[in-house]
Amino acid sequence: MVQEQKGETSSGMYTYKHHGDKGVDIHEIFVKKSRTRVLLSYCGLILLLAIVCRSLLGKEKLCLESVWSVTFGILVAKCLQYKPVKKESVVIMPSFGVQLEIHFWSGRVDRHFVPIGKILKPLLNECVTPVTCYWSLALLLRDEEELKLVFQKFRPPVKMLVPIWRALCAFTDSECTSRHSTVSKPNRSEA
Amino acid sequence: QISHAMDGQSRKHRILMVSDFFFPNFGGVESHIYYLSQCLLKLGHKVVVMTHAYGKRSGVRYVTGGLKVYYVPWRPFLMQNTLPTLFMTFPIIRTILIRERISVVHGHQAFSTLCHEALMHARTMGYKVVFTDHSLYGFADVGSIHMNKVLQFTLADIDQAICVSHTSKENTVLRSGISPDKVFMVPNAVDTAMFTPSSNRLSCDEIIIVVISRLVYRKGADLLVEVIPEVCRLFPKVRFIVGGDGPKRVRLEEMREKFSLQDRVEMLGAVPHAQVRSVLISGHIFLNSSLTEAFCIAILEAASCGLLTVSTRVGGVPEVLPDDMIVLAEPDPEDMVRAVRQAIDILPGIDPQIMHRRMKKLYSWDDVAKRTEIVYDRAMQSSNTNLLDRLPRYLTCGAWAGKLFCLVMIINYLVWCLLEFLQPAEGIEEVPDIGPLHIHSDSVDDQCEAQRN
Repeated sequence: MVQEQKGETSSGMYTYKHHGDKGVDIHEIFVKKSRTRVLLSYCGLILLLAIVCRSLLGKEKLCLESVWSVTFGILVAKCLQYKPVKKESVVIMPSFGVQLEIHFWSGRVDRHFVPIGKILKPLLNECVTPVTCYWSLALLLRDEEELKLVFQKFRPPVKMLVPIWRALCAFTDSECTSRHSTVSKPNRSEA
Repeated sequence: QISHAMDGQSRKHRILMVSDFFFPNFGGVESHIYYLSQCLLKLGHKVVVMTHAYGKRSGVRYVTGGLKVYYVPWRPFLMQNTLPTLFMTFPIIRTILIRERISVVHGHQAFSTLCHEALMHARTMGYKVVFTDHSLYGFADVGSIHMNKVLQFTLADIDQAICVSHTSKENTVLRSGISPDKVFMVPNAVDTAMFTPSSNRLSCDEIIIVVISRLVYRKGADLLVEVIPEVCRLFPKVRFIVGGDGPKRVRLEEMREKFSLQDRVEMLGAVPHAQVRSVLISGHIFLNSSLTEAFCIAILEAASCGLLTVSTRVGGVPEVLPDDMIVLAEPDPEDMVRAVRQAIDILPGIDPQIMHRRMKKLYSWDDVAKRTEIVYDRAMQSSNTNLLDRLPRYLTCGAWAGKLFCLVMIINYLVWCLLEFLQPAEGIEEVPDIGPLHIHSDSVDDQCEAQRN
């Protein structure tokens, strides 16, 4: 596998790597695994286990109170659940489209392919929530009302998003011009 | 001193305007913030506006001239005001202040909870703060007492304050106990380019009196109900056009029915802001019956369109127009009818075009922006003080209130320390300045041309 290393930057908990592989452009963002979150998720599971054991092994019969406590335990365990994401990558395939991938530490990979014809424009968007404001990279898609977020789980800093946005812009512009030139060719041959 | 003044002139500020009241709402405060921001942008300053989300309008928007607006998704809970949470708005305000590299925070309108919270948090973080009061308030009823206490808290530690008229300055100083030296008087203005008189002069066979206001108690809708039938009885060639909507509209409709004035009084309902000029130029006289008014931009708009104004002598209204452009009356039906008679008598001598030209010289938003710039320069010169030096200023607010305010500021400071620990300022990325949008639109057109070729 011929990999062409094009760049790597690191900032806080995020690391950005850019490399090419057989003509395909790959941008990856890695995040460090958070030990605190792992610990908290185990605590949630232990709490749920303790509540279930208490309900089953306790001398009282199963009643409404035990149902509520088990439900509460499930909710807490769900909130503290941590499915750590190892990296999110953007694979730009010339003439085909863009593949968005989420790689988990467990080995599972979620992939989503966006064909080139569907992409109208890549955008750097400022998102405002009730407590904060951050940058996100999104794709404006044809015939779709909602933007497609490139990074679903992460909020990397804007200095890492800018080179990816530039690469996506160059990709969509080059596909646009090649489509325009193929459309104009028959006219020239007629003339 | 001269070199210091020169430094003040050349320094460009980065201003955050905060209020619950902004576009897409239309009103005095909203248009004040909008026009002032546009003129400050023209002077080379950076302006960002922060307000709450209006329905689906949420997030960052850019309006005319590259003015950036943050519509923060906090729900309004009462009369367009954000829910007052004291400390929960601190994270988003801190983020905006750091990422936009703000130097001055300018809050508008005493009735806006977001404004008070933003000024409190900005003060805790050490930014310079300026406050503009747009309305007059009373002293005696429960609502006013509460409002005045909140205002006392905000103005106890403000750098500079602005009021829109001398009457408003007196009112603000009395309500809040702030030193008069800190209060500047910068009036509102009117967009004279938008409010121009009709090119054809209306004939004086039939005299049309225009009323455009919200039909609420505060704007004197009850006075109108008394005045209109009397004027119609005394002057057969007078017609009324009433624009606006509100709870008192029902009373006006009843008045029309009772005195059979359907052909003499036309009710237009709510008039969109873009159509206000076309309604104004259809009349000769503008009638304003407000019971209280700090400034009254409506009569400026009417004068700019060449209408003679009849108004109640309340609040800051006497300061707004020269004596030959306005006829004042006490807020009493008989005196108002007398004023309308006087206005009808002097009407033939009024030239709308001359009136409009005079208004252009008297009022302009560029002048307001330059005067506000001086206020910002003065605010930047005030010294930085730490929390312990600032706390005694709150103790003057009252026996119990003073101690409560000190406690609130101490907790605010602790919340700030917590936020600095959880999300250090270095982690908040600064936003690059985007130039005026017309430059970008030119380059896009060029690109399209190139692609077509």
